[in-house]
Amino acid sequence: MGVRRFGPNIRLSGTERISDLTLVRTAGLTKRYGKITALNALDLELQTGIIGLVGANGAGKSTLIKLLLGLLEPTSGLAEVMGFDVFRQGPELRQFVGYMPEHDCLPKDVSATEFVAHMAQISGLPRAAARDRTAETLRHVGLFEERYREMRGYSTGMKQRVKLAQALVHDPRLMLLDEPTNGLDPQGRDEMLRLIRRIGTEFGIAIILSSHLLSEIERVCDHLVEIEDGRLVRSEPMTVLIAPTGVLTIEVDGDGALLAARLREHGVAVRRSGRLLLVQKEGDTLLDVIRDSIVDLGLGLMRLEQGQRRLEELFQSQPTLGEEDCSRV
Amino acid sequence: MSDPTVGSIYDIGYQRYGGLRLGRRHAIWALYVHSLRGVFGIGRSLSSKVGPMGLAVIVLLPAIFQLGVAAIASQEIEVIRPEDYYQLIEVVLVAFCAVVAPELVGRDQRTHTLSLYFSRALRRQDYAFAKFAALATGMLAITIIPQAVMFVGNGLAVNDFGGYMQDRWTDLPSALGSAVLLSGLIAGIGLTIAAQTPRRAYSTVGILAAFVLTSAIGASVFEAAGRDTGRFVLLFSPFHVTRGLTFWFFDAALDPGTQLARADLPGIIYAIDATLIALFMLVLLLRRYQKISP
Repeated sequence: MGVRRFGPNIRLSGTERISDLTLVRTAGLTKRYGKITALNALDLELQTGIIGLVGANGAGKSTLIKLLLGLLEPTSGLAEVMGFDVFRQGPELRQFVGYMPEHDCLPKDVSATEFVAHMAQISGLPRAAARDRTAETLRHVGLFEERYREMRGYSTGMKQRVKLAQALVHDPRLMLLDEPTNGLDPQGRDEMLRLIRRIGTEFGIAIILSSHLLSEIERVCDHLVEIEDGRLVRSEPMTVLIAPTGVLTIEVDGDGALLAARLREHGVAVRRSGRLLLVQKEGDTLLDVIRDSIVDLGLGLMRLEQGQRRLEELFQSQPTLGEEDCSRV
Repeated sequence: MSDPTVGSIYDIGYQRYGGLRLGRRHAIWALYVHSLRGVFGIGRSLSSKVGPMGLAVIVLLPAIFQLGVAAIASQEIEVIRPEDYYQLIEVVLVAFCAVVAPELVGRDQRTHTLSLYFSRALRRQDYAFAKFAALATGMLAITIIPQAVMFVGNGLAVNDFGGYMQDRWTDLPSALGSAVLLSGLIAGIGLTIAAQTPRRAYSTVGILAAFVLTSAIGASVFEAAGRDTGRFVLLFSPFHVTRGLTFWFFDAALDPGTQLARADLPGIIYAIDATLIALFMLVLLLRRYQKISP
C-alpha cells in the first residue's frame, strides 16, 4: 500500500464482512514513552462482538485504543483491524471505525448538528448523506431540539451523547469507546450502557469499550480483555468468566435454622450466610428435597436462585483493581 | 435529564449505510472547505466574523479611494500604483493572518478535537495541508480582490476599457503571481506559529512580531551592517521580501533611496526566497502535526 495513494471509493456493505474477519490482531505491539512502557509486547486476537477492556488507570487501555486507531505510532509490533494494517492503511480503515475519546473533544461554538455532519464528511461520507445520517444518529442517541444549539451550554450527559453520535454517524463496523460513562450520573450511565449494548447487538457494530468499572463491562460486554501494566492478563469470553458457580441460594420467610437442620438430615451440605442458606448443587433430587422440606416445615420460600460468579470476585485477589471505583454503582 | 423524552431512545430502527464512502481525498476536501469558511467566520457566530470581515473591508479602502479619484477625474490618474498596493496593506494582511490563523488551528487543539480528526479518514499531514491551503486561499482572496477591483475600476474610468486592457493587461499576471507568493508566505509563517500553541493570544502576538518586528530588525541591521553584508539580511525580513518580489513581478523600478533599491539584489531572488521560506514553513507545520499528541 503506497502512502501516496488515495483510498479508492470503498463500498463495504452489510455486516457480513466483519464477521468473516478477525476484528483485531496484534503481534508484539509495544508503545514506550521515553522510559515508560505503556504497552508491552501485546499479542491479541479478537473476534467481533462487544469487547470490554479493563485495567487500572494507566494500565494501557487508552494507549491500546489509540494504537488501534493509528492515533499513536507503536514503538514496535504490528496491529491489524478488520484486515487493515493500522499504520499503513489508516485512512482506509478509519472510514469504518468510530472513536469516542475519554476526554472532552467538542468545540463550543457550533451546534451538534453542524459538528456531527462535518465529522461524517471527514469520515468520507458525501455531504448529503452526512446530513441525513446526522439527523438520524442524533435521534438514536437521544438528542432532540437542543441539537441546533451551540454546544457550549450542553450538560455532561448531552456532550457524551454527541461524542457517541460522532463516532456512530458514518455507520462504522467497529466503535472504540474510551470510558464512555465518564462523568455521567447513575441514570445517564444506565442509558449510555443500554445504548451501547443496543449498538452492539441490534445495530450489529463491533465495540471495544474500556472501563475501570467491572460492573459496566459485565453488563454490556460479551468478551473481556484485561490489561495490567501494559501486559495482557487475560482475554476470555464473558460466559467463561461469569459461569454459574453451582451454589444455590435459599431465602425463606421464617426460621432458616430449621430448614438448615432439616436439609442436613437429608445429607445436604448447608452453609448459612445471614438470612440466606447456601447449598452446593449436586444430585438430581436436591431441588425436590428443598421444596419438600420447606413445605413440611410450613415456611414461605422467598428466593431460590443459582449463584453466578461476579467479575468482581474474579478480580478480588488483585489489589490494583480493588480501588473504590470498582464497587457496583 | 429527568425529561423523559430526552432520556428515552426512540425505537426508530437502525439503518445501515450502504452508500458511497469517498475516502481520504473527500475528507481533505471537506476539511479544506470547512476551514476556508472558518477563515471568514462563515457558519460561525457573529463575533467570529467581525475580525476577518472587518480587515477584509480595510484592505479594499485604498482601492476605493483610487477609484473615487479616477472617477471624479474621469481619466487615467494613478494615485496608487498596483505595485505599491501590497505595501499599503501589508500590515493589514498580517493582522488578518494573526486573527485567523490561531482560530484555524489553535481551536482544534484547545478543544481537543484533533483526536477526532486524526481518527478519521485522513492522515495527520493531510490535516495540516488542508488548513494551510484554506488559509492561503483566504489570504489570496483578500490580497487579489482589491487589485482586481482597482484594475476594473480604472479601466472603466477611462471610458475605453478595451484600450486600457491592451495597455495594462500585464498587470493581471503580475498582481496574481505576487499575490500567490505573498499569501503563501504569510499563511505559511502565520500558521506554523499558530500551530505551536493552543493559546490564541500567544500566537496572535507571535505572528505580528514575526512580521513587524523581524522586518524592523532587518531594516536596522541593513543600515548598521552596510550594503554588502546587510542586503542578505533583507532576505529574512518578510516585508522586504514581499516588496521585492512584488516589484519584480510588476517589473517596476524601485524608488531610489529605499533599502531595496540600495540593496540592489536581482528581483527574482526575492521570489525564490519567498517560495523557499513558504515551503520551509510548510515542512515545519507538517512536522509539528506529525508529533503533536492529539
